[in-house]
Amino acid sequence: MTQERRAYKRDVVIEVTTSLIVPLILLFGLYVMMGTGGTGGGFQGGTILAAGFILYITVFGVDKGREKVPESVNAFFLSFGLFLYNGIGWLCILFSLATAQWLNMPAFWPVTEFTGVAGARSFLIAYMISAGIGLTVMAAFVSQYFDLAMKEDDEMEGDEG
Amino acid sequence: MKLPAMKPLTISGLITALLLIALSIYVVEDLPAFGDENSPANKYMMLFTVDADGLAENLDAGILPSKIKTQIEDMGFNKEENYPTLEEGNYRIEWSEKGAFEGGRRSEGGWEVLIHNGEIFYNEPLRYYFVKEGNETFTIYRYNWPVRVNEKTEEETATINAVTAGLADYRGYDTMGEETVILTGAIGVILLLRRRGRL
Amino acid sequence: MEWLTQHVLEKYNFWIAMTIIIVGLTATIVKENLLKKIIGLSIFQTAMFLWYVSLGDVGRNILTTWGLKTGTPAILWEEAAEKGYIYVNPLLNVLMLTGIVVSAATTAVALAIVIRIYQKYGTIEEDEIIEKEKEFEREGVM
Repeated sequence: MTQERRAYKRDVVIEVTTSLIVPLILLFGLYVMMGTGGTGGGFQGGTILAAGFILYITVFGVDKGREKVPESVNAFFLSFGLFLYNGIGWLCILFSLATAQWLNMPAFWPVTEFTGVAGARSFLIAYMISAGIGLTVMAAFVSQYFDLAMKEDDEMEGDEG
Repeated sequence: MKLPAMKPLTISGLITALLLIALSIYVVEDLPAFGDENSPANKYMMLFTVDADGLAENLDAGILPSKIKTQIEDMGFNKEENYPTLEEGNYRIEWSEKGAFEGGRRSEGGWEVLIHNGEIFYNEPLRYYFVKEGNETFTIYRYNWPVRVNEKTEEETATINAVTAGLADYRGYDTMGEETVILTGAIGVILLLRRRGRL
Repeated sequence: MEWLTQHVLEKYNFWIAMTIIIVGLTATIVKENLLKKIIGLSIFQTAMFLWYVSLGDVGRNILTTWGLKTGTPAILWEEAAEKGYIYVNPLLNVLMLTGIVVSAATTAVALAIVIRIYQKYGTIEEDEIIEKEKEFEREGVM
């Protein structure tokens, strides 16, 4: 029960390379996720972040991966990303009286006196919407990978219906 | 020579492949060519053709002739369906040279009709129609969405990435729904695969 | 002859994408292993994205120049106006971005269903599953 679930022998080269390169992948994914100064965007950055975590889980095993990304943190990011994006969207629908215009959100912010309407829209695109999309996509892919890779203790016992 | 007996699944797969090949040969005549700048998906769409009686002088003076205007409104671009109208003082006509380069596209020689749309925050005229002169006829085109995006994205949203601005700002509500689909996919896998009291 | 050059040589992106679509769709129907059906579905979706995005490419003409003038991606830098670049249509890339991520998520749900089927029947081949289902009906196990 408490033995290691490995199918291959431990290899020094793979483990050292992975532990050196996973922080760089996560940093690059964070840079790509803010997509206003060049290439990038929410979906692209979210999948790069998920790829970093999936590489760590594949090399070191599911148990050690569970210590780094526990269940509560995963569920928190899954709902926090959706809360950011849908919160702004439903506020816009409410304040524009259901005509569905995004322009009304910068209209009543006090920030627009300093930066103008274009600056307020760029702030919304880069920091609220892209971050919301990226966090949800990362948490969804990591959670799906955990479920598909984890073996339960007693399976193939027969049919339960 | 006898053919070997095939399973019913293989027969239905071959019939599907033959139907798709026939459909693609039928459809290929309506598609735009690869790399065409002036196809309807990329630049403009042709509306109708009009004889050039004396209309060039009206267009140079800055007035749209009533023959073109009534035909545009008959096609459905009128006030009842929430399109911008061509009233007096609402529009402006400019002449653009052939080969002039602006907004990431090359223009052909013709007159462009700019309409003051009256949006909430940016009150500048936008390009809507395009009149080109052929051999004694005038052809009227209507610009599509990519022309506006390539010119106005830097002003309206201060980002230089036109793809992210289209995803998050102009088409933001579509992306809001797609994110809910991804969340439902993650919840579906959790419900299918965790049975022994871990939920 | 003119029909051939106009409709076959100038629209070669359509023929390439249509070949991969036919291959993927036939694989989904014909194969009996459940995992191979899921792979065929993924091939079909990828070819659809390729066909849709290739509609917006600008500046390529096979009859006049061999790809000497191409379109740049739609990042609006200021130096592009001096050098004479033409932008690619950005609307098509926007609509297919969300489709790519959604197709990955639905493939994961399909794989979870295949795991459940394996746990109940013990096999993935389709004809063996149908035989076991008839046995269950006869014996009354459900």
